[in-house]
Amino acid sequence: MKRSKRFEILDERPVHQDGFIKEWPEAGLIAMEGPEDPRPSVKIENGKIVELDGKKREDFDMLDQFIADHTLDIDIIEDVMAQDSRELAHKIVDVNVSRDAVKRLGLGMTPAKVVEVVGHMNVVEMMFAVQKMRARKTPSNQCHVTNVKDHPALLAADAAEAAMRGFDELETTVGIVRYAASNAISIMVGGQTGRGGVLTQCAVEEAMELEMGMRGFTAYAETVSVYGTEQVFVDGDDTPWSKSFLASGYASRGLKMRYTSGTGSEAEMGFADGKSMLYLEARCLYMTKGAGVQGIQNGSISCVGVPGAVPSGVRAMLAENLIAMLLDLECASGNDQTFTHSRTRRTARMLMQFLPGTDFIFSGYSAVPNYDNMFAGSTHDVDDYDDYLTLQRDLKVNGGLVPVEEEDVIKIRNKGAKALQAVFKELGMPDITDEEVEAATYAHGSKDMPDRDVREDFRGIEDMLNRGTTGVAIVQALEKNGFEDVAENFFNLLKQRIAGDYLHTSAIFDENFHCISAVNDQNDYAGPGTGYRVPDELWEELKDIRFARDPEDIGE
Amino acid sequence: MDKELVESIVRDVLGNLENQGSSAPQKSGNGLTAKDYPMGEKSKDKVKTPSGHTLDDIEFKKIISGETSGSELRITAETLNHQAEIARSVDREQFAKNLERAAELTKVGDERILEIYNALRPYRSTKQDMLDIADELENEYGAVINAEFIREAAHVYEKRKRLKGDR
Repeated sequence: MKRSKRFEILDERPVHQDGFIKEWPEAGLIAMEGPEDPRPSVKIENGKIVELDGKKREDFDMLDQFIADHTLDIDIIEDVMAQDSRELAHKIVDVNVSRDAVKRLGLGMTPAKVVEVVGHMNVVEMMFAVQKMRARKTPSNQCHVTNVKDHPALLAADAAEAAMRGFDELETTVGIVRYAASNAISIMVGGQTGRGGVLTQCAVEEAMELEMGMRGFTAYAETVSVYGTEQVFVDGDDTPWSKSFLASGYASRGLKMRYTSGTGSEAEMGFADGKSMLYLEARCLYMTKGAGVQGIQNGSISCVGVPGAVPSGVRAMLAENLIAMLLDLECASGNDQTFTHSRTRRTARMLMQFLPGTDFIFSGYSAVPNYDNMFAGSTHDVDDYDDYLTLQRDLKVNGGLVPVEEEDVIKIRNKGAKALQAVFKELGMPDITDEEVEAATYAHGSKDMPDRDVREDFRGIEDMLNRGTTGVAIVQALEKNGFEDVAENFFNLLKQRIAGDYLHTSAIFDENFHCISAVNDQNDYAGPGTGYRVPDELWEELKDIRFARDPEDIGE
Repeated sequence: MDKELVESIVRDVLGNLENQGSSAPQKSGNGLTAKDYPMGEKSKDKVKTPSGHTLDDIEFKKIISGETSGSELRITAETLNHQAEIARSVDREQFAKNLERAAELTKVGDERILEIYNALRPYRSTKQDMLDIADELENEYGAVINAEFIREAAHVYEKRKRLKGDR
């Protein structure tokens, strides 16, 4: 065939590098409304659920049983299940039906029912519902702080900048596992340098993650994965009961935590049971609710390529965020791992959460260049900061970031790296040199950083851990070396564990360590002029991007 | 973990036990609601450290000097039960139950928490291992809710063939 020049150009567009596949329900490659998804049903006998979504109690798998016995509200379920799904969808988007009233319906629906309900909604209705149903009134944002070299000084500098830019949560992970403690400490010191009260975590294997929390190297945890089929759950080396125990373990130490799930994981691991991605995700969310965990990170996350490849996949990611909110869970709503080469697609996918606002619009905006992102990249990164700030300004949306000045960023990066340099010295870790501090201050990413002696670092980390080092030693090290303000912030963050206020749903801290959560900042959206509105003071800040011209300067 | 850390955890545990007077689960019954939240600001009088100090006693300079031990920077069973009550006042029953299970676990050492978690992972334990853990939690720590929860897990693991040797 003689080729059309138009089609030749189209074939060269970045979107053609993305993977797309037609629906294949048997393999679970269907986003929502799967032909094999169970019909919603429930039966109660003697105060117990004996049938759930077409399955008899004796045939329940672990998830069915957990959801039946720990999540669903048997006092209301028969009544809610009897209601027409389309009518329920209407209530969710009706501004005259309060958030509280809708919230009560959540535990009266089975996973198959809730999927049927949101199946009646298009993305605009879902976005509207997210605006009304998210738990915390004030939206917020989370970022990733990682680098290919696990370079501590760069992590500290990046964390300091990210905190200054407005992220309320910072997440790191490792290139090499043995760097975990070093990375956790680096972003916690950097984060508290940038803005007191920022929450930090380090995503590693579950038991190691808990231990770092117990030591005071992290403030919360998120990488506690749950799955929608029993086989995948077990392949993930857990059960609903082990994961619930882990959740209580965190709370017993005063540490905030949320689970992680997301569409596509079951299909990717080959055990989707022929069910749609959204149905399986709904099971994750009902399990999470039953465990008593305050929140979830979802929106596909690390398997985003799977829903991203099928029709209505991006809609399903929004739907899963919405189901989490219908269950009154905190939602860190994805926009995480890279799923497309197309700038258009990634922006469109992000607007689904950016426009209505969620508890954390990104559960990992990359506060480092994409090549340094050890979560397999993110949809948006440091090079997109000015575009993102412009979107906030164009649309008068609080997306969680504030404009910053170059000079201030340089200063805070330098201070974060220096503070960590002092901590490393006091903890007996291998030196961070002045050259490394300087490089971290001005770096774009790890390509601008000298290499570390990895073996020496491992030895230092191991010795430090073997000595039983905890967060208190870090506070003392900071104070001793003249970083009193950072030390006080670090101390205040550790002190928050005593009261446990930040265990609650959607909790974050402001710069005065005032806890803001879905207890004292409950979403009260009820139509135009209600709910969250960008406060005047913040709007003045958001308007003032550094590259907007001042009319007074024109014509001089 | 080194000896000092272990000792500080033991001190914590003892402090907790003494404060509670008994190892039975203590449900909060103070009528706390969202109005008392954040407790660190609005209900300071009800928040105590493991050894019974108030929040205001925990000062930066005392942590620096070492006068106050790092083991004081921990939540107590009592505070968790208070927070559970606040959670219920905003209609979060399951979350409240998690906090109550957590309250029981404040008395269990860090290492043991990690061990029990690992024992609850699939194919790690026999049914008897799990029932023994449940008994230990109930008899040694008064953790009756957790004990019941683990007994329930033991039955489910048996039914679903997720016990040691089932693979």
